[in-house]
Amino acid sequence: MLIDRIIGAAAMLLAAVYLYATSQIPTLEIGDPLGPKAFPMLLGIALIAAAILLFIETLKADADEGEKAPRGSMRHWWLIGGVTGWTALYFGLFDRAGYLIATVMYLLPMMAVFNPGKWVANVLTTVLWAVGSYVLFVKILGVVLPVGLLGF
Amino acid sequence: MDTLGHILNGFNVALMPINLWYTFLGCFMGTIIGILPGIGPAAGIGLLIPITFGMDPTSALIMMAGIYYGAMYGGSTTSILINTPGEASSVMTALDGYQMAKKGRAGAALAVSAIGSFLAGTFGIVALTMLAVPLAAVALKFGPAEYFCLMLFALAAVSSLTGKSAAKGIMSTVLGLMVATIGIDLQSGQPRYTMGVPELQDGVGFLVVVVGMFAIGEVLSNLEEHIKGKAEIIRLSGKLWLTREEWRRSVMPIIRGGVIGFFKGVLPGAGATIATMMSYMVEKRISKTPEKFGTGMIEGVAGPEAANNAATCGAMVPLLTLGIPGSGATAVLMGAFIMYGIQPGPLLFEKRPDLVWGLVDSMYIGNIMLLILNLPLIGIFVRILYIPTGILLSLILAISAIGVYSINGNALELQMALMFGIVGYVFRKIDIPLAPMVLALVLGGIMEQSFRQAMTISGADPRVFVGSGICITLLVLAVITVLLPVLLPRLRAMKEGPEDLDS
Repeated sequence: MLIDRIIGAAAMLLAAVYLYATSQIPTLEIGDPLGPKAFPMLLGIALIAAAILLFIETLKADADEGEKAPRGSMRHWWLIGGVTGWTALYFGLFDRAGYLIATVMYLLPMMAVFNPGKWVANVLTTVLWAVGSYVLFVKILGVVLPVGLLGF
Repeated sequence: MDTLGHILNGFNVALMPINLWYTFLGCFMGTIIGILPGIGPAAGIGLLIPITFGMDPTSALIMMAGIYYGAMYGGSTTSILINTPGEASSVMTALDGYQMAKKGRAGAALAVSAIGSFLAGTFGIVALTMLAVPLAAVALKFGPAEYFCLMLFALAAVSSLTGKSAAKGIMSTVLGLMVATIGIDLQSGQPRYTMGVPELQDGVGFLVVVVGMFAIGEVLSNLEEHIKGKAEIIRLSGKLWLTREEWRRSVMPIIRGGVIGFFKGVLPGAGATIATMMSYMVEKRISKTPEKFGTGMIEGVAGPEAANNAATCGAMVPLLTLGIPGSGATAVLMGAFIMYGIQPGPLLFEKRPDLVWGLVDSMYIGNIMLLILNLPLIGIFVRILYIPTGILLSLILAISAIGVYSINGNALELQMALMFGIVGYVFRKIDIPLAPMVLALVLGGIMEQSFRQAMTISGADPRVFVGSGICITLLVLAVITVLLPVLLPRLRAMKEGPEDLDS
């Protein structure tokens, strides 16, 4: 299967980068015969070995004639991409905007997309959730969350 | 105090009102987490660790353990009512449980899973109590080389048994170990792979990875499923009890499932999911009407449900006695131990018997609470299923933000968690198992330590790892577990010719 070949190649590449980074660690060997490099070196080699094992497995699977499952449509990919980007934005503004504002701004569009058409329920849940969780975590459980723009 | 005294004293700890409350809270949240799609025990424990920082470690761990075994009870509910297993360990329950529900026997299916879970869970705790002491005594004799080999065996077993491909399992493990090497090396003081980012000097936060991969990654997968279509919820109907005939048919599967589950739980890598599969196959094989499995056989619900609960008790054995978890969820539990400054392992039985036995004994009480929560009160919990998935999944992402931010108050860690969420999502897509990576991340630091200690003792002579019978046995076992999935089908094919392995 093509995807497994790509995984194997990616693992090889990662192992190479990791091994290179390992070789760049400066060492002062005092009382520690191995130093900080030895264990990571083994890990790099282990990853290469796993990639080779995967190639062998793919060869076997190809010989057994693996079925080609059609992947889902592209719609899912841009959806996941969108959610990821939106969440990244939420996390990025978490500090500056503050938990309450950022969370409300984040949740409303999320719910509008994934629970469409139910405006009242969505808005109510969002606001109740944001305020409720803030009170629960900050006031009762003593967790520190950013206040941001509200500054109270 | 002798061992029996410690065990009995554990009840004093477990029965303290505050600990009873946390046992209840853990079981309650565990049931909810088991029912909720998009969040499993590993993510649930991970998200709640930061909240418990101010608590007494014993109470906190009692609650965490409650979430862990409580989730096994809750998981069956979604399998039976909407044919959507909340956890991998409930997949087998869905096969016959959902069919039972369609035939109007949802009440019986839920009842048998609650009763089976209770009986097998209680059996599992008794077995855990009896096995823990001798195993901890053996583990006390382990030196760094033995520990290294033991961890190698545990990781090898988890790598080769959790996924479809041993190579991908090993990759997942090695990646976890690599992530564990990020940060300042404790022995030499050298920063490793920090790329000049100050936040990385303390290493990648364990919870950042857990919340990312198990909570955020799972939500992304679920969102995708969600827009594809929605499962129909079967209304609970009929009495929540078994007929005499159903009860008679369920007793033996519960006993067999309990025994299989416990021993599978003790072994690293096998865990609850494989235990449920084995139990289901055993029931199907010895049934007089195997062809009826999949059409609503109560044996197919009773056995696996008993097995997954006994397995959670079994999984506590290596975690407590050796300090080596054998699955994703117990790895997160171990992460919780470490965050409270407690190193699970044989020494803990000597240093903190109150904590160990308080925790174990609280499980007896928790199981009784869960029986009550899941039998008379299940009607209330089922309502959770009516929360629209779109709202639920969005909220889980918001909870993830709170969970990660509350650890260090650092927004950069949020982005890192999201990154691991994407990794988790992609890994699910390409069939790379997540549990080995998280397990490796928890064990990575200790593993490197024992590797270097052993090498320091031996003067950099690698023969130290084959220097004792225990080491050699463990290494041989590690090699066998990796090779077994490759060799077994071939051996079978050579002996019997082609055989269909339908499960």
